[in-house]
Formats: sequence, structure tokens, C-alpha cells
Amino acid sequence: MNYPKLLSKRWQRLSQFFGLFSLCFLLVVSCASQTTTQNSTLGGASNPRVNIGTTLKVRTLDPADSYEIASGNLLYNLGDRLYTYRSGTTELTPQLATALPTISDDKLTYTIPLRQGVLFHDGTSFNAEAMAFSLNRFMENEGTPAFLLKDIVESVNATGEYELTIKLQQPFAAFPELLTFPGTAAISPQAYQIGTGQFKPDTFVGTGPYKLAQFGTDVIRLDVFEDYWGEKPQNQGVDIQLFTSSSNLFNAFRTRAIDVASGTLDSEQIKSLEKETQRQGWQEITADGNSVNYMVLNVNSEPLNRVEVRQALAAIVDRNILNQRVLQDLAEPLYSLIPDTFPSHKPVFEQYGDGNAEKAKQLLTQAGFSQANPAVVEIWYSSNSTKRSLVASTLKAIADQKMDGILQLELKSVESTTAFQNLDKGIYPTFLLDWYADYFDPDNYIQPFLDCNEGSATEGCKVGASQNHGSFYYNTEVVNLIRQQRQETDRDRRYAILGQIQDILARDVPFIPMWLDRDYAFAQKGINGVRLEPTQKLLFSSISK
Amino acid sequence: MSRSKALQYYILSRLLLAPIMLWFITTLVFLLLRATPGDPVDAIYGARASAAAKEELRRQLGLDLPLGLQYLNYMGDLLRLDLGTSLTSRGQTVWQIIGQYFPATVELTVFSMLVALGIGITIGTLAASRPNSPLDAGGRLFGILTYSIPAFWAGMLMQLVFAVQLGWFPLGTRFSISAIPPNGPTGLYILDSLLNGNINQFLISLHHLALPCFTLGILLSGIFERIVRVNLKQTLKADYVEAARARGIPERRILIAHALKNALIPVITILGLTFAALLGGAVLTEVTFSWPGLGNRLYEAITLRDYPTVQGVVVFFAAIVAIASIAIDILNAYVDPRIRY
Repeated sequence: MNYPKLLSKRWQRLSQFFGLFSLCFLLVVSCASQTTTQNSTLGGASNPRVNIGTTLKVRTLDPADSYEIASGNLLYNLGDRLYTYRSGTTELTPQLATALPTISDDKLTYTIPLRQGVLFHDGTSFNAEAMAFSLNRFMENEGTPAFLLKDIVESVNATGEYELTIKLQQPFAAFPELLTFPGTAAISPQAYQIGTGQFKPDTFVGTGPYKLAQFGTDVIRLDVFEDYWGEKPQNQGVDIQLFTSSSNLFNAFRTRAIDVASGTLDSEQIKSLEKETQRQGWQEITADGNSVNYMVLNVNSEPLNRVEVRQALAAIVDRNILNQRVLQDLAEPLYSLIPDTFPSHKPVFEQYGDGNAEKAKQLLTQAGFSQANPAVVEIWYSSNSTKRSLVASTLKAIADQKMDGILQLELKSVESTTAFQNLDKGIYPTFLLDWYADYFDPDNYIQPFLDCNEGSATEGCKVGASQNHGSFYYNTEVVNLIRQQRQETDRDRRYAILGQIQDILARDVPFIPMWLDRDYAFAQKGINGVRLEPTQKLLFSSISK
Repeated sequence: MSRSKALQYYILSRLLLAPIMLWFITTLVFLLLRATPGDPVDAIYGARASAAAKEELRRQLGLDLPLGLQYLNYMGDLLRLDLGTSLTSRGQTVWQIIGQYFPATVELTVFSMLVALGIGITIGTLAASRPNSPLDAGGRLFGILTYSIPAFWAGMLMQLVFAVQLGWFPLGTRFSISAIPPNGPTGLYILDSLLNGNINQFLISLHHLALPCFTLGILLSGIFERIVRVNLKQTLKADYVEAARARGIPERRILIAHALKNALIPVITILGLTFAALLGGAVLTEVTFSWPGLGNRLYEAITLRDYPTVQGVVVFFAAIVAIASIAIDILNAYVDPRIRY
């Protein structure tokens, strides 16, 4: 049977038809949508809304249950808090309050005068009752960040129509800073309920310059709130496009599908965009980040229970090499747990140098280690972080090359969720981690790491912050100093105490600060006012087209 | 027993087996998730909260209950078709999550299957009609290549060429960010835009759907191409084809109406199962294209150890697969008279 002859004509026609159809389909779809695509890009001056692309996932918009960078940033733009930071600075300024709090002599009672004439997005009037409701709901609904206030606040009451009184359990100097946490935003009592687990993940009714228009699966739309009490936004709304991968975000920006790219672009992508910035007319916006990357050392584990070994590890960490080889010069070397954006920062780990093998050898020899009896340390990192995997490999390479076998690093990885389950159980001798602040105060870089509620010098921390972090470091002096600085309202005296704590941190090395991530965003030509705040927030209202 | 009676018994037995299969899958997922280290509290808090705060949250989420009790609670809810509430997006039920994300998956699946069938059957038929020719070899090569190319790699390549370099298609997501998406009863943008009579919305939806569905469609077409090619070759050698020729039926009619029809019977089975599997989340394609489907959401839920969401979505997928396989069997029984029970 000769099929080719019989069928060739028919198949030819079929193939032609199919080919032609496919071509027409592609052309129609791509051409017909060109208009729309153009409108969605910068060419579309007819679209006055700002398009922001990000890879950060928004789990919930309920301020009482929101504890991630992405939702925090949205709440920061959608809502108002009692206090905020003056844009571009770390200067605390009243937002829904009209002045800084009046503090009682015993430092336990904060009286806060509130702004009048403020409306919620649903038209409800803002007053002290509403603010008290918001803060009480934050604590009583038992959401993920509830402990931030619950551990400190005794009660929140409206003591006048526009006067709020907050009583603390113990004095806490950084309390006004804590009130800048995005989750403490005022929310309408008409739209929310108080009660354990009563959350609304996909709505937000606050007082901010934007109101939530759509909380979709791949897009979040914010409309301008016309009755906003403060300065109106410079744009007519913000559309946030959620990408699942940084490569999509990167390509979407390159093809001008979005106005601003903000989120987790990786180092190569940032470098690639940087190269093109001048030619394409793009803007690169950077800011000193406040994400601290560090290594936690379990002081109860062998051989890290010897302070010399911990100091030796601190000495061989070469931050400059890490920055060049792994972080592509997009990070900053860090020599204390407190970032250098704070005046209280002291670069205490500089005393060990960077990649200082001689000092490390000397310390290890002093501790009784040698080539015949090397110090073997496991370096653990999260398996879902390429960056940390490379950092760990680089550290191992440094040790292998420079330490003549006296220090041997073994690399181990585990998925992050598993790691966090086991961190406070003392399973890992070391771990590479990062930390972003809940509120912008040095206390938030010290207390969660070094504090301890229960422990001893011999057995280490049994219950408390340092145990949570997997360090188990216990030092009565440090615990007392932390308490002191939390109660000290005199700035200079507080800085002095924080300096002391940092000195002890460098001496005992329960943690090794490594680098500080810089924050990056990119904006298209013609997009103005894109600013990354020192608090790691991207302010939407200042962006204009 | 008559054939129709036997078929009825068969269908009934399959329907009775489906709940047992679902129970088994649910139990397996329940146990596997609990066997995985970490829980939602660890995923959310990391090292940021005290042990007391973590324990309190576990208590609230019911994770402090004995495993047996957790299981009984879950199965009890399941019998009432209550898939529970997400642990990470607290306040949102699993049904709401499915309702939000599933339409995108359905849309991607349906159109990808259409593309896959169109390409696969055409190339398979062409290759089978010219045995041992370059076209046949090309068909084989196409089948092997499309079957073996990883979805994420193909997706990235397609994006790079058609979206980044040529700029013909948008990158990821279901709809243009600068336009209002269609609002309709189905959640399928293509269908809703047509129901609304909005051609612009329809074209935008199609424009956004084209690249991911072509990528997935081309990758899937290899399976159909191979099945059609192999079966058609065999069918063309069958006795009934010879008999048809002897009766003087035109050759093209024999190929299209007789041989191809029978050669497509296995395609129905594969089509149904592939369709069901895709509805179970073309995770890699969805992630690659930032397509907000249920597969993508399931991946997130697994990462965050969101037990109810993972369990609920898996049960939902399992139910789809069970229904699809029953439907395929029934369809095959009607289409192929040789099938016996």
C-alpha cells in the first residue's frame, strides 16, 4: 500500500492548514494584545498606576497574624501605626499619635495623644477606642507576632476619646520603636473581631493612604484612599504582580512589563541589571539593609565549648572573600550583630581580622589542637539556600587552604523547616542563618540572640532567646546588661551598655556576624520617587510616573 | 450475564472502590506529612519566637493533640466534606483556596491538552502513514525529545525566546496587570470573558495563556504522538483494514475513519490519566511561568507544612483522578466492544 501517494496531497493540505492556523493564531494573539501590553508598560502613559513586581509571598494581610517581610511591607503602605520613621531616616515620628508618648516616672505607663479627623477605609472614625481595639486584638487573637506585645504590655486602654494609655509589664526603652511594627496598624473595629484565631487573611481595613482593592492569586491592587488624612500618594494606585521565581521578575522588568522590581533578585540578576542601567535608563535604588547574616555556634557542643575554637572560627571567616566570591560585592561585611546603621554599632569582630589563619592557628594550638588532633567542626546550612551553601563551601576552602589541617570543617545541610524544629534542641554545632528586625532598634539585634531566662554558666541556657537560636550561650552579666539597656531611657547611657554587650559578644563568640544584605530595587525610566527605607520597606506613596 | 449488566456491575464496583482509594491516599498523606520533620509553627517562626510562643501556637492549631485524635478529627471533617482551614493563611478554608487557584490550573490543563492532542495526533498520523521514512524517524525523534525535555527548562527557553527576545508574549501570570480581569462564574478567564462578551479581555487572557499552554502542550504531545504512531502502524496491518480495502473503501477513508479511530482508543486512556495528572498540578510549569494554579499553591503549602491545605488539595486531586479513571474505563467500554469485564 502506497500511503505517501494516496495521502500526500491530503496531508500537505492538512499541514498547510495547521501551519497557517498556528501562524494566524500566534499573530492574532500577540498582535491583538500588543495594545494591552503596551498599555501595561511604560509606553502606556495612559496607565497612571504603578506596577510593582515582587517574588515575596504574602501569606496573610491580617495585621494580627502577619509576620513576614512581604505582608509587613504591604501593611506598612496600607495602614498607619502610632509611630513610624521619617521617610529616608531612622528618626521616629508620630503617625496616628500626635506626639511622642508621655512616660511615667516608673517607666511603665505610656500616655499617647492621638490624631483627630482620621477615617478608616470603611468610613468608620478613628479614635482611642479603635486604637485600643487594634492593639488588644493584636495580642488576644494569638497570631504569630502576638508575643511581640504580649510579652511586654500589661494593658491597653482608651483614657479619653483621643488618648491612649498603655501599661507595660516591665520598663522597655524601645517601646515606641516597637509600636512601628506593621502589625500594630490601626484597624476598623467594624471590620474585625477579637478572639483567638479570628483572622481575615485577604482583607485589610485600616487608615492608610491606600485601600485594598484586590487580593488575588497573582496580583494585589491598592487604590488611593481619597479620604486619607495625610499627604496623598503621588500615583493613582499600585498594582503588585506576584512572581514565583526571581527569573520571571528579572525578565518582566527587562521587558518593561513592570515599573519597579523589588524582591528577591539574586546576585547575578542584580549585576546584570546594574550593567544595563545606564544604557536602558533604568534606576538602581539601593539602601543599607538590616538583614543580618551570621553563624550561630552551639557553646555546649564539642569542640565549640572551648572559647578558643569559637574565636578561631571568627578569625578564619574572611568577609571580603565571601563578599567578592559569593555575594558579588552586593553585601557589606559585618563585624557586630548590630548593623552599622545604628549609632550603637561597634565593629567588635574586627579584632579577629578576616581570614586571619595565623591567629586561628594560635588560638587552636592554645586549646590543645594540632594537625594530629585537629578541631573538627560541622558547618550546617539550609539546603534551600544556594547562597549559604556557597558561603559554607568557601569557608571550608579557606580552612583547607590556610589552616594546615589543624581545623577541619565538615559541611552539612538540612531543609530550613527541619532546621528550625531542631535548632533549640542543640542538634547543630553551627548554623548559617539570617535575621531581619521586627522593629528598628538595636535591642532587636541583641535581646533575641543573647538573652536567657533560665540557665547556668556550666550548663548553658536552658530556656530563652539564646536557646531558641541554638547557641545556648549563658552569661549572667550579659543578661543583666540586656535588662539594663531595655530600661535605660538615656540614649548615651544605653549606647554604652550596648557597647559593653557587643564587647562580650566578641570575646565569647556565641555568634559570628558575617555580612549585611543590601536592599535593591530597580525602576524604569520615568518612574520617580522610588525609595527603600532604612527599615527595609518600599514606600509606595512617593512613587510617580 | 449480558454485556450491559456486566458493565453496570463493573461501574458499581469501581464506584465503591473509589472512597476506599481516597481514604487510603488521605491516610497516607496524613501520616507522611506528620513523619516529615518540622511543622507550620517552625516554618513560620523560624528562630524568632520563644518555645512558649511556639507551643501556644501549636495548641491553637491543634498540633498538640495526639496523632490519633488529629486523624479522627480530620477524617470526621472529611466525611462532612470539610477540608479544614489553612494553618498558614489562617481564616481561609481549603475549599476557598481550591476555589481561588483551581480555575487557573483547569484553564492551563484544558488548553495544553488541546495543543498536545492536535500536535501529537497530527505528527503521529503523519509518521505512521509513512513507515520507515524520514517523516517516521522525525516523528520518533519528536516523541523522544518532547517526552524527555524537562518542563522547567523548556519553559525557561520558551520564555527567553518568545517573551524576552521577541516580546511576543507576556511573562507569567494570568492577566495583564494594567487591566481588570474578567469576573465571572467559572473563574476561567477565557470562558468568563466570552460570557461577558468582552473580546479584549478574551484576547488578553489568550495572550497570557498561549506561552505556558504551548510549552506544556508540546511537551505532552510526544506521549500522544508515540501512542498514535505505534497503534496506527499496527492497526493498518489488521485484518479488518485488509477487509475494508477488499471492499473497495478509499484508502484515506480507511486511515481516517477506520484505522485512526481504533488507534485512538489507547489515547483516550492516556488522555484521561494525563488530564487528571495535570489537574493534579503541573507544578513545574506553573512555577516556571508564575501561573497561579493549584499546583503552585500546593508546593507552597508543602514548604510551609500547611497540613490541612496539603491534605485537602491532595484529596481533591485524588478524587479527580479517581473520577477520571472511572470515566475512562466507562468510555473505553463503550468505545471498544472487545473489552470484557
